[in-house]
Amino acid sequence: MAEKPQPVRVLYCGVCGLPAEYCEFGPDFDKCKPWLRQNAPHLYPDLLNDAKEKDVDKAAEQLQAVGISGAGDGGGEGSSANSGSTSGSKQEEVKRLPGGKIKKKEKQEVVIEKIVRNKRKCVTVVKGLELFGIKLSDASKKLGKKFATGASVVKGPTDKEQIDVQGDIAYDIVEFLTETWPDVPESAIFFIEDGRKVAAA
Amino acid sequence: MFKKFSFEDISAQNQVKASVQRKIRQSIADEYPGLEPLLDDLLPKKSPLIVAKCQNHLNLVVMNNVPLFFNVRDGPYMPTLRLLHQYPDIMKKFQVDRGAIKFVLAGANIMCPGLTSPGGALNDEVLEETPVAIMAEGKEHALAIGFTKLPAKDIRTVNKGIGVDNMHYLNDGLWKMERLE
Repeated sequence: MAEKPQPVRVLYCGVCGLPAEYCEFGPDFDKCKPWLRQNAPHLYPDLLNDAKEKDVDKAAEQLQAVGISGAGDGGGEGSSANSGSTSGSKQEEVKRLPGGKIKKKEKQEVVIEKIVRNKRKCVTVVKGLELFGIKLSDASKKLGKKFATGASVVKGPTDKEQIDVQGDIAYDIVEFLTETWPDVPESAIFFIEDGRKVAAA
Repeated sequence: MFKKFSFEDISAQNQVKASVQRKIRQSIADEYPGLEPLLDDLLPKKSPLIVAKCQNHLNLVVMNNVPLFFNVRDGPYMPTLRLLHQYPDIMKKFQVDRGAIKFVLAGANIMCPGLTSPGGALNDEVLEETPVAIMAEGKEHALAIGFTKLPAKDIRTVNKGIGVDNMHYLNDGLWKMERLE
């Protein structure tokens, strides 16, 4: 039998979990940078240079801050704190998808749709409750109890979960929603009528 | 294939019969001769082997809660990237150029030009419908596992369209599933 090859130990990034050399293509290279600088400096020589430059920048900033603080301590601290926070908040605002696409935060709204089946029977579909932090299984139970019909959590299109309630309950579901969950404002509830979105309020 | 993959996609996990276990071992050994001496460590004969069935006719071979191999329908078994990183020489290798890395890591299939350009490399022995490791220009480790659509020679001559299907890539759902309970 051939000799056993030894397993290769791969350096995985502590932040994103990818092999360190792929961090630059990972979901958030910026966040990995500090870790990489410490643990895998040989893979990204550019980073080290960057870091040095940054250090120089920082030093310069500090010098400036000191200069300002000569005039007033509060002002100097404020400015340095600001410069730190702006770079931080920028990263949080824009969530980058792989490929440079930017992910938008989803709007919190509840969409109610009536689907007719078998001519005189219909199903009311409630979408988007989960965006308000409501447990869908609880919600469906409550809806079923209130309207005395079947209500279930169903996987809708694009893998989103929605609640199907048997029967046409569109007429007073709005009131029920706003009463049971005060977090849901009436202005965030929409109906779909003839393929168009209509505000409930 | 694993772009969206989570625990919810696993429909059943079963400990398989010894005979099935032997069959799986045999087919893995046939596919990856380089792995044969290691098989006793990876898939000990005595310990229970679990096969997780997932959607789209996908099977995961799980040992000690770690997914090690996967296959589709009755197709060949392919190692997970974590396993491949440990034993990189068990699979035939293709290499893509640097420009392709971004797309491959987003789940794109591997197009012929990325393999034939100066940064890429092909292993001419590879025929169609074979699992291959996808390496990248200037990188040490594999970034994806593919399943060839064309023989390597045709990839070179056609030089257009999909050459290798991307089965499993870094940071996809299976990659993130380090352990399975």
